[in-house]
Amino acid sequence: MSLLNSALRRLFDLLLLPFQSLPAAVGLVVVSLLAAVGMLWAFKRTSNQAGIEAAKRRIHAGIFEIRLFNDSFRQIWRAQAGILRANLTYLRYSLVPMLFILPPLVFVVAQLQFQYAYAQPAAGDRTVLEATFAPGWEKAGTVPASASGKPRATLELPAGLVAETPALWIPSQRTLSWRLRVEQPGDQTIGIRIGDRLYEKSFDGSRPLERRSPVRPGRSWLDQFVYPAERPLPSDGVLDRVTVDLEPAAVALPGWTVREMAGVPAWMTVFFLLSIVFAFALRRRFGVTF
Amino acid sequence: MPSVSSVEAPRSLRTGPLLAAALVALAAAPAEAYVGPGAGIALLSSVGVVLVTLLLAIASILAWPFRALWRLLTGKKTARPWARRFISVGLDGQDPLLTERLMAEGKLPNLKRLAEQGCYHRIRTTYPSMTPVAWSSYSTGVNPGKHNIFDFLDRDRKTYLPVLSSAEIGSVDRFLRLGKWKIPLRRPEIRLLRKSRPFWSILGDYRIWSTVLRMPITFPPDRFYGAELSAMSVPDLLGSQGTFLFFTTRRSDSKFKEGGQRVVLEGGPDRFSTVVRGPENIFRAGDPPLEIPMEIELDRAAGRVRIRLDGDEHLLAPRQLTGWVKLTFRAAPTVKVQGITRLMVTELDEHFSLYLSPINLDPESPAMPISHPSYYSTYMAKKVGTYSTLGLAEDTWALNEKVTDDATFLRQSYDIDTERQEMFFAALDKLDRGSLVCVFDGTDRIQHMFWRYHEEGHPAGAGREQAAHRHAVEEVYLHNDRLVGKVMSKLRRDDVLIVLSDHGFTSFRRGVNLNGWLLAHGYLALKPGCDGSTEWLRDVDWSRTRAYAQGLTGIFLNVEGREGEGIVKPGAEARALRKELIQKLSGLRDDERGEVGINQVYAAEDVYDGPYLVNAPDLIVGYNHGYRVSWDCATGVASGPLFQDNLKAWSGDHCVDPNLVPGVFFCNHAIDKRDPALIDVAPTVLRLFGVDAPPHMDGKPLFEKPPATLAPSKASREGGETRAA
Repeated sequence: MSLLNSALRRLFDLLLLPFQSLPAAVGLVVVSLLAAVGMLWAFKRTSNQAGIEAAKRRIHAGIFEIRLFNDSFRQIWRAQAGILRANLTYLRYSLVPMLFILPPLVFVVAQLQFQYAYAQPAAGDRTVLEATFAPGWEKAGTVPASASGKPRATLELPAGLVAETPALWIPSQRTLSWRLRVEQPGDQTIGIRIGDRLYEKSFDGSRPLERRSPVRPGRSWLDQFVYPAERPLPSDGVLDRVTVDLEPAAVALPGWTVREMAGVPAWMTVFFLLSIVFAFALRRRFGVTF
Repeated sequence: MPSVSSVEAPRSLRTGPLLAAALVALAAAPAEAYVGPGAGIALLSSVGVVLVTLLLAIASILAWPFRALWRLLTGKKTARPWARRFISVGLDGQDPLLTERLMAEGKLPNLKRLAEQGCYHRIRTTYPSMTPVAWSSYSTGVNPGKHNIFDFLDRDRKTYLPVLSSAEIGSVDRFLRLGKWKIPLRRPEIRLLRKSRPFWSILGDYRIWSTVLRMPITFPPDRFYGAELSAMSVPDLLGSQGTFLFFTTRRSDSKFKEGGQRVVLEGGPDRFSTVVRGPENIFRAGDPPLEIPMEIELDRAAGRVRIRLDGDEHLLAPRQLTGWVKLTFRAAPTVKVQGITRLMVTELDEHFSLYLSPINLDPESPAMPISHPSYYSTYMAKKVGTYSTLGLAEDTWALNEKVTDDATFLRQSYDIDTERQEMFFAALDKLDRGSLVCVFDGTDRIQHMFWRYHEEGHPAGAGREQAAHRHAVEEVYLHNDRLVGKVMSKLRRDDVLIVLSDHGFTSFRRGVNLNGWLLAHGYLALKPGCDGSTEWLRDVDWSRTRAYAQGLTGIFLNVEGREGEGIVKPGAEARALRKELIQKLSGLRDDERGEVGINQVYAAEDVYDGPYLVNAPDLIVGYNHGYRVSWDCATGVASGPLFQDNLKAWSGDHCVDPNLVPGVFFCNHAIDKRDPALIDVAPTVLRLFGVDAPPHMDGKPLFEKPPATLAPSKASREGGETRAA
């Protein structure tokens, strides 16, 4: 997983390099177009096109029937039932290509999430840095702790970041937290020294668009899958993950600034809409029915 | 930024990759939203479809009481109906002699069963015994003098040139001109020239539904309470009645005599770039033809041809007929003209030839009105798939010109029949109450083209004994019998089924050049220096011509004040001339064969009456068995021999003396009339639904009282009179 993520990170960094100094919408247009093309290609090859066409024809015929035989209850209900049956068939046929398209797309979405989901930190912003200890960390005996059981950890902050609070230990959650203030945004690395080990977390903010992740994952496979933007923490260390709070980014389109809605990141809304538009526009060229 | 710590990931993370990852495992429907194209659209579309159909259904149901009330207040009252459904299966050209013989041989078990269950009769056809005339009388219950259809063709009275008798397609003369573009300011007017009212239109007044499928002479479609798909007279995309395209490396100076266009392929030897020409582009100055590029790549070694046409690629082996291929001609931004065609490589050796069937209007998006309501053709295309729309859909011309072969023609005919059957049974399935009328043309077309094998000694029957399809005529009768069996299996208790043909069939061995006869006998004169060999009577000197033949059975007098250059005075002179021609032509002998060529010539006023008698040919020629108007005469050529062997594949016909070619009539109930005629059907259908036939109808109902075998319909059981519902 780590190797795959590393390769994908490099690939996406390279792909998106030309768009780093441009508004997010520009990169998203290109990414959505490429995604639409790729998905059309995959959809054509993995779906039952004849079946989908037949199901759509039955649906259309049913809609015409409701209009045509609108004096007959019986025919209206029969048409309705026929449409529902055809609709289920249509969904069944659509599910198959989805099973092929979704896995690679998840990797793509995960990479794009860290490019487009989080806003560039600004001077004066505050964030919470949180280090989660692995279960049984205290038994390893490598971490000095106070009498109350709070692990001793030291922050090594780059210039431009200031800790506003001492570390807060929540034993039930095994977390140490600090509140930080941004004085000068830049491509920064926060260090947390625990014993003789230094654990790092990136906190990049030099450009509007660059890879930013709220989480540096640890050993967990799921964490590594979901947060591929940074290398995982050392597997022999005592931390499970390190997180920072990042502000969600908006995407400015001509005449419409898209913001996070109902938990859906703005970029994802734009990506979804644009990829649908492109797919619709290109479907005939690719000879795809959906 | 949040000022308090949180051990959970931010919300955006939870709903983004996490959700997507979870969906990989669960594959739940909402995940499709993240797939965007494809499954995402599928989900959106499906939800949309469900919503739209629900709304439509709710709207229909909510509106129903208001519609019912409106019908109650405005609808016409019917008497007690005798039947709930009337189903008419038209088998164009099914001949009684052949039918009776095959029934006697036990080869038509379903028709025999139908006859035993109800009745079988020969049915009188019309003067002339011609499809457009006969089916128009069937529909309207009147003689041609009242419905105005006397032949396939009529003549322009001023120019004497032939015009379609059933429909008039106008042109657009007002445009908004923008440089090389011109925008038509109105649509061309298309007018049905058949007069009187078909029975389905009258039933519609009483809110009794009718579905009319491919009934001849329904272009443009009638407007009534029901649905109709037009047939005969619907043109192809080039505006003709069926022009096939033939791309070939063979050079030829001759044109096809019938409707075909030859395109000589340049370049090669294995790659050709050409264009498929469509209709004229009225949006461009000069009306250049619309074109679609076509790339042809031959692989002679593999016996394959790759054809790139309109964005699609077709890999064809010789003699392999494709399914329908869609063609989209782009006339202007957002303006497309859509057609459908079928392709077949007819030759792939030293030479290469490719056949394209006539480009039919695409039923999903027809360029002309071919159905009522307008979306009905689209509905049918969605329901049963793409289907032929051309009036005369079977490509008889290509077979006549030997561009296609017997097997291809039969394949086309049976494919069209399959399309028709699918439409018919789809419509039957939807018919709760009312009438369903459908005409199947295969019998007519196959008999026209294969009679040469059916009849021993036919001049066009060379190789008959070895012909692979020598039993094609008999086979189509057996095919029809299976269709009837299937229809019978779908009947309900109070259904009335009739199976009938518009006329019978006979041989076409010898052609008669009537214009040649008129020329030889001084009734028709030529311009100085002309020999009469020019088509459409262009060689004729009208100032010295008293009579001319036009169409397949008509002779017109060149009447002063009626024709553009008429010289025969109406009244006594015209009557005398008619009488003279009847006397001379009736019993006209073919001395070479020792047979009578023309049985009887009928005066229009003796066989027609009604307001449109004035449009009829003055004389209707009743040919004998084996005789018909010659190919030359039919195209307005006056030169050549009077009698000539017919060597074309089109070897059977019915444009003869109507008394020789009655049709067949089967019904699942016994009728009360011994000598039924086509014009009796319309008043019969009206009576079955409790509607009085209008006084102008010439036909008489075939049932005088409700048939004993017909179970009382639900409507009649519910009480006396009914209102449309």
